[in-house]
Amino acid sequence: MSSNRPKIFASPQEGLLTLLIIFVAVVAAFPMAWMVLSSLKTPQESMQTPPVWFPATPNLDAYVQVADVVSLGQSFLNSAVIAVITTAAILLTSLMAGYAFAKYTFRGRDALFAVLIAAMFLPPIVTLIPLYRITGYLGLNASLFGVIVPNLANAFGIFLMRQYIKGVPDDMIDAARVDGASEMRILFKVVAPSVMPAIAALTLFAFVYHWNSYLWPLTVLQGKTEQYPIVISLSRLLSYNRGAMNTGLVMAGATLAVLPPVVLFVFLQRFFVDSIVSSGVKG
Amino acid sequence: MLRTQNRSAIGMLAPATGLIGVFVLLPMALTVWLAFQDWSTQTGFETARFIGVDNFLAIFGPGSVGRDFKAALVNTAIYTVLSVLIIVPLSVALGLLVHQKIAPGGIVLRTVLFSTYMVPMIAVALVWSKLYSPTEGPINQMLGWIGIGAQTWLSSPKTALVSLVLLNVWQQVGYFTVLAVAGLTQIPPVLYEAARVDGASAWRQFHAITLPLLGNTLLFSAVIGVINAVQVFEPVALITQGGPVNSTNVLTYHIRRVGIERAQGGLGSAMAVTLMLALIVAITALFAVARSRENRT
Repeated sequence: MSSNRPKIFASPQEGLLTLLIIFVAVVAAFPMAWMVLSSLKTPQESMQTPPVWFPATPNLDAYVQVADVVSLGQSFLNSAVIAVITTAAILLTSLMAGYAFAKYTFRGRDALFAVLIAAMFLPPIVTLIPLYRITGYLGLNASLFGVIVPNLANAFGIFLMRQYIKGVPDDMIDAARVDGASEMRILFKVVAPSVMPAIAALTLFAFVYHWNSYLWPLTVLQGKTEQYPIVISLSRLLSYNRGAMNTGLVMAGATLAVLPPVVLFVFLQRFFVDSIVSSGVKG
Repeated sequence: MLRTQNRSAIGMLAPATGLIGVFVLLPMALTVWLAFQDWSTQTGFETARFIGVDNFLAIFGPGSVGRDFKAALVNTAIYTVLSVLIIVPLSVALGLLVHQKIAPGGIVLRTVLFSTYMVPMIAVALVWSKLYSPTEGPINQMLGWIGIGAQTWLSSPKTALVSLVLLNVWQQVGYFTVLAVAGLTQIPPVLYEAARVDGASAWRQFHAITLPLLGNTLLFSAVIGVINAVQVFEPVALITQGGPVNSTNVLTYHIRRVGIERAQGGLGSAMAVTLMLALIVAITALFAVARSRENRT
């Protein structure tokens, strides 16, 4: 070990792997970086061939203009209402059902659980047509209720909660029962605090899924633009996207829509990864 | 005790099972029922008229309904097979890169890869439609730097579907990488130490230890990959509308167009049932392949 040159890497393998990691990360991050850069370009820069990578004078004009083209505030509010209410409801219904499946013995438990797991794997398009008629019967079409109500419970959430609640010691629950606590009280005061990682993971999963959801809101809202969540309002921007003139506008809108799920991901990703490990592979 | 448990169980289960029953299981059953009916989506279920297997004859028949559906079925199959064939091996390679302990940066790489999975598909589609642009897009520009000519990407029926597959791979591979890493962490390190003592090469270790012990993870990844791939909708609805020349008309897009926009609820339901049966066959086949491999080793 008497090299004269100062070594950056301990071995050739380390150097090679580091370069590979940097390369993959750059490729993976490139589309989102391009989106943000494009949102800062002038319309002229967006139209140039070959494309300009870095705007000469980055400006936020596109962010101001996009608010005039679509009702951005209203769309964000709609998305927030949909994502927050469904997430809260999914947490509650999944905790309750997950607790029952994990800690109660009752007739038909395993059969019922198997049916719910099957529902988890069903692609939404398979139920879309009759569901649209059912929400119609219930008077939910063309309103945010139609987006929200069918999504208040989620089979994956039940599955995840059951996996984690199984690990809560029975002694803790029995002790609370001896003290005369009601089952709901046990669920919230004993069980829920012991499965916070699962709650964090399900919060991220449900919020991201319903913030990003497109097929069902597009179908059930029946063209009611003032009820559109941001992802559908964005797609309306595309009629402005045809000419490259407005690329900046579209990219500004996309950047804004991406922020809430990605920011939440940065805070909660640790729990999400753990939940995938325990629900996916061991399950 | 058992009786009170039964009563509490009903209370705990009622909200979730009630909701899933009404909004998932009931529509599922109705889809199967409607597949055998002549029914317009704009009218109530009571207007449905039983017509036997006519819907299925139509969607597999020689008419325009059959032609469009069969093309969409084939497009979806190609899209799904290509997506899974690229995503699963790539996720193992990237998983090894995240999991290795020789060079730093694995966790950062995982975060970067996984974050793309959080991006709304609609934003992904918007951005990629620009990246793919033949003249103003940076992808053709970069290909030019290394001496490869401009590609048509989304604008030609020959390349449009593959372009959508690449977009899908970019968005989803991070999730599957996390699955692969989860599988890799379950392999006992002692096995590798023993192999090294025996003088096994890195490639031999990968082949004899990593791949076989990753079997369950690969099966799970393939199943989820198939289920995710058949749901492709946003990039088609947003960028290609099924074109050019129907080359990207996939089932989720086609079923919605027939069943909702054209209100042909019976025909759309028959298509949905066919999709579900195809999925069941595909997933059963994946399990059968996995089992036969297990038996051989």
